[in-house]
Amino acid sequence: MTEGNGLMLELKDVHTFYGSIEALKGISIDVREGEIVTLIGANGAGKSTTLRSINGLNHPRRGSIRFEGRDITNASPHSVVKMGIAQSPEGRRLFPRMSVHENLEMGAFQRADRKGIREDMDRVFELFPRLQERRTQKAGTLSGGEQQMCAIGRALMARPKLLMLDEPSMGLAPIFVERIFETIVEVNKQGTTILLVEQNALMALDVASRGYVLETGTVALADEAKALRQNEQVRKTYLGED
Amino acid sequence: MAIRRRTGFLDPVRERVEVLERRVLGDDAGPVARRTFNRGLSAVIVGFLGMLILAPLYGFSVAAILAWLVFVVLYVPPWEVIPRVGRFVRPLLALSLAATYPFYALNMFTIPIFGAFPDVATGVKMLVFAMMAIGLNIVVGYAGLLDLGYVAFYAIGSYTVAWFASIQFAHQNIHFWPAGVPSSLPGIHISIWLLLALAGILTAIVGVIIGLPTLRLRGDYLAIVTLGFGEIMPQVARNGDDFFGTGFNLTNGPNGITPIDSPGFGSFTFLAGHGSFFTPDRLFFWTAILLVLFTVFCSLRLRDSRLGRAWIAIREDETAAAAMGVPLMRTKTWAYAAGAFFGGIAGGYYASFKSATFPGDFFFNISVLILCMVILGGMGNIWGVMVGALFLEYLDSEGLANTGAWLNSNLGLNIDVPKYEFGIFGLILVVVMLFRPQGLIPSARRKAEFEVGVHDEPLYNATHG
Repeated sequence: MTEGNGLMLELKDVHTFYGSIEALKGISIDVREGEIVTLIGANGAGKSTTLRSINGLNHPRRGSIRFEGRDITNASPHSVVKMGIAQSPEGRRLFPRMSVHENLEMGAFQRADRKGIREDMDRVFELFPRLQERRTQKAGTLSGGEQQMCAIGRALMARPKLLMLDEPSMGLAPIFVERIFETIVEVNKQGTTILLVEQNALMALDVASRGYVLETGTVALADEAKALRQNEQVRKTYLGED
Repeated sequence: MAIRRRTGFLDPVRERVEVLERRVLGDDAGPVARRTFNRGLSAVIVGFLGMLILAPLYGFSVAAILAWLVFVVLYVPPWEVIPRVGRFVRPLLALSLAATYPFYALNMFTIPIFGAFPDVATGVKMLVFAMMAIGLNIVVGYAGLLDLGYVAFYAIGSYTVAWFASIQFAHQNIHFWPAGVPSSLPGIHISIWLLLALAGILTAIVGVIIGLPTLRLRGDYLAIVTLGFGEIMPQVARNGDDFFGTGFNLTNGPNGITPIDSPGFGSFTFLAGHGSFFTPDRLFFWTAILLVLFTVFCSLRLRDSRLGRAWIAIREDETAAAAMGVPLMRTKTWAYAAGAFFGGIAGGYYASFKSATFPGDFFFNISVLILCMVILGGMGNIWGVMVGALFLEYLDSEGLANTGAWLNSNLGLNIDVPKYEFGIFGLILVVVMLFRPQGLIPSARRKAEFEVGVHDEPLYNATHG
């Protein structure tokens, strides 16, 4: 039934807490196969928490999360990765003392097919030639943009069905931001579904097919990306237009 | 990529050396030539200083010159450039030096202040502690989990061997391939070799049992729980002669369990030895070398395995490791089990060597001592940890007494130096942390931590999402 409409990920009324603070107050989100879906919203709206709820780092207290028809609400992070959800976390979180190459290998930690891993490594280097130049360098010594590439590359090494990107443009020079977004579109064209969390709403809505606007732990708006771009309120609040 | 160079009082010396190096080798010498030059220079300086200071004090010593030559052969030539076999030259040379140590131990020269070289029995202790330190290194150095109760694993290993190779359970009469034990002797007597394996496995299982509830904790909390565990163990051993008032004597209380069977084969035991060549100490020493080799081999294989990579990932960034699909609990538990395994074997072997085990052997200070060995040598690097362990255990059993005797006789004092053992170890640790925080021989990864401008950013902030 879920396969019929290509529904890949489904969050239903998810409530997630940090201690006694309710960070998500009932969020429902759908991601269909092949889409780029973006979550936009201000700081503290619950975007990263949503990702942490999905990948098992913070289990929701109420509600359900289903991936490809299977319930993953209380799944452990490693089993979520195994099912095909990889992420480039907020702030990148590379292993600073490991080389670029080792970081990418860590991304493929759950896989055992050496040949496939090598293919994906080549694919990542094709997407980011810069990483190939720096493959023996310690990840902690890369520039911000390179680190972001490494983080995305590392997530791709899991050969995920769903790739979750948390603020890939954060702290990057505009030239890098553009490059990163081009890559996101490219990866999506190669068949990976993407859930994109962004503060840079303009760029995010440009590449996404659908979007959700989060406000203080709830979904304030949900629509096609194009429609959201036209939306009066979104333009005022998130795109800085009058 | 800015490399922060440490400035220090040796800097002017370094600059001179660099000038000299350029003059000798030319401007475009390769790194191998430069390294060899530097090592040769330091070997010459060490030899020269040795002659200058030692010869007038102790007289001319052939053994000292030979030792210096061996050091030069080991240290200076760039053995690693020889393809394939090159990287084995140094370990093999060092190994053969260690294995033949009983033959020349008595002919060695006297080290200034430290006195004579350790005797072979002390060598056994040093090797046992090296094994434990390498085991703890898996937990602390690889996986980055602070364990302050490692002595508990040592205790479990010791008591496992003690139970099954002594007359502790006198109403039993089980014999299984013991060496040199008459079949009329009551108690359980199982071959020490089997017991070592059993001690390792049992200790690993206990490690898992302890690990499962505690490894959910992070950092300081884990340290506190392991500390408690390390405190509980000797108390159980001390009070285990009357379990819950049932009269069941498990550990023989403060009197400990002694004697314990010796390792051996058939009627041949290590304790009796064989002639003047196979003395008990030599037999125990060589077996200890084999056990250390086994530990080093396993430890290196583990480090380079998938599991080893997962440990390093957890140490670097636990949350990121989880997001990459590293199962945290399982991976940490394996680190605990592996560390406990070697601690158990080492403890069991040591009990058999001493032919005794007492609750007093397993106090908190031993945990700290082993942890010091790991930190002093360089966390994560097996060779460093080994050097740290050998050195500290040598100080513990002989060195401090010798040094004290030297101090007292030369300065006319009357101090019982070994009494201040832990103060001295603390001082050594403080000095090392100040001047070489990465340890004496750090692992390449740890070294990067201190040299290259790598820093952790506080990332996922739990207070807002």
